[in-house]
Amino acid sequence: MNYRFQFGVVWDNFPLLLEGALLTFQLGCFAFAGGALIGLVCATLKTYAPWPLRVLVDCYVVFITNTPALIQIYFLYFGLPELGFRWSNEACLLIGLTLNAGAYLTLILRAGFLSVRVSEIEAGQTLGMSLIQQVRYIIVPHIAKSIYPAVANFFIVILVMGTSVGALIGVDELTGQAINLSAVNYRWLEYLTVVAGMYVVLTFIASIGLALLGRWAFRVKARIF
Amino acid sequence: MAHLAVSDVRAKYGTLEVLKGVTFSIGKGEIATLVGPSGSGKSTVLRALMGLTPVTGGTVEIAGERMNYSSAREVRAARDRMAIVFQQYNLFQNMTVMQNLTLAPLKIKKWDKQQVNSEARRLLGLVGLSDKADAYSDQLSGGQQQRVALARALALKPQILLLDEVTSALDPELVNEVLDAIRKLADEGMTMVIVSHEMAFVREIADKVVFMDAGQIVEAGTPKEILDTPKTERARDFFSKILRH
Ligand SMILES: Nc1ncnc2c1ncn2[C@@H]1O[C@H](COP(=O)(O)OP(=O)(O)OP(=O)(O)O)[C@@H](O)[C@H]1O
Ligand SMILES: [Mg+2]
Repeated sequence: MNYRFQFGVVWDNFPLLLEGALLTFQLGCFAFAGGALIGLVCATLKTYAPWPLRVLVDCYVVFITNTPALIQIYFLYFGLPELGFRWSNEACLLIGLTLNAGAYLTLILRAGFLSVRVSEIEAGQTLGMSLIQQVRYIIVPHIAKSIYPAVANFFIVILVMGTSVGALIGVDELTGQAINLSAVNYRWLEYLTVVAGMYVVLTFIASIGLALLGRWAFRVKARIF
Repeated sequence: MAHLAVSDVRAKYGTLEVLKGVTFSIGKGEIATLVGPSGSGKSTVLRALMGLTPVTGGTVEIAGERMNYSSAREVRAARDRMAIVFQQYNLFQNMTVMQNLTLAPLKIKKWDKQQVNSEARRLLGLVGLSDKADAYSDQLSGGQQQRVALARALALKPQILLLDEVTSALDPELVNEVLDAIRKLADEGMTMVIVSHEMAFVREIADKVVFMDAGQIVEAGTPKEILDTPKTERARDFFSKILRH
């Protein structure tokens, strides 16, 4: 064991890594936001829509959650061009991650819908609440609070695991950037160590943000670790 | 004149007729208790009065005013006059005790904030929970939660209070604190319909005992008449079983 760590070259290229981290963060946020929208629509359909739509939602969720994200994104990037649909690698990654997040968030939100206690709604009704007041004062706060931990966890999963798939189709997010740079200088150990640290910082920041949001908005006593 | 007059009220769950014509009445400031075997329809009577279970026949009058349950507005009129407390308290979990009490008066009735707050504090004092105004329901014992539910129901100044087995979910040592709160309301002259299995309490507090079985009223009268000398076989059978315990 006489490997000599040389971090100098990593620091020289640190701005590139920061750019990668920023892209990772953006991809995670956009995919999550888009996925939340899809999840909200699908979970609502699953709860209230007639059966053909419910089956459609089921197919989407089963198909996505039972196949690897990598396959889905390869399908978009390498598969669809054969049929004439050609998008940039970043677009494919974002679309793939969004669809993926949509399916998982459908499941999470659906569980939240089911967890609303009928008895609390009845209490609201007997106090004279209209439907809109029930949604505003009972249903939404309850769902938000009950799904918060699962949603917060899932955001971290998307941010770290989801986005890093981009490296395999040449997106220069944090993992992709690390691989590119390591391949030039053969300083794999140094780059990967620093990048791992950056991921930890990234998720740490995201966790603090989520925990503060949870405490402030939903009175969830979220732990950061 | 009867303050609450229920006459020939019917209710169904799907096709199952659960109330097959229920008739009873109570005067202002009086307390009626509904007793009877499990599944006899006691809860359904209270739920029908609150418009939670659809009324399919009969009439309900409060202070001479006919309640209709045929539109959302009319159901709300009934809910303006009555309040219910459930066995499982059903507090809003995401709100403090104070918010539970003041939400409906402030946001639904749009009453004056200062008056609502001072009334809420008075009610918390009445149920002995002045120090818990800022607690959340998961920080309270069952008995405390049930007393909050009682105060929440009173915050809307109902003319009639409906209580559905409010002590059944409580540990024995917590039952009395809730019963004490109900006794105080009785002293204040609150008109109440109480479903209860606590026969000693029923005997003590009721002006009228209504015995139900299979969706119908079998017997009604003073506590002495119904508990000590029931006239029907079904009532005798029921009381001999539960009083033996
Ligand atoms: N949501 C429901 N759907 C269908 N049937 C119901 C429902 N709730 C109650 N029932 C039926 O209605 C009948 C009366 O029920 P109810 O709850 O009023 O009885 P209860 O006298 O309050 O009994 P308990 O002492 O057990 O609380 C029962 O036969 C019950 O099975
Ligand atoms: Mg009942």
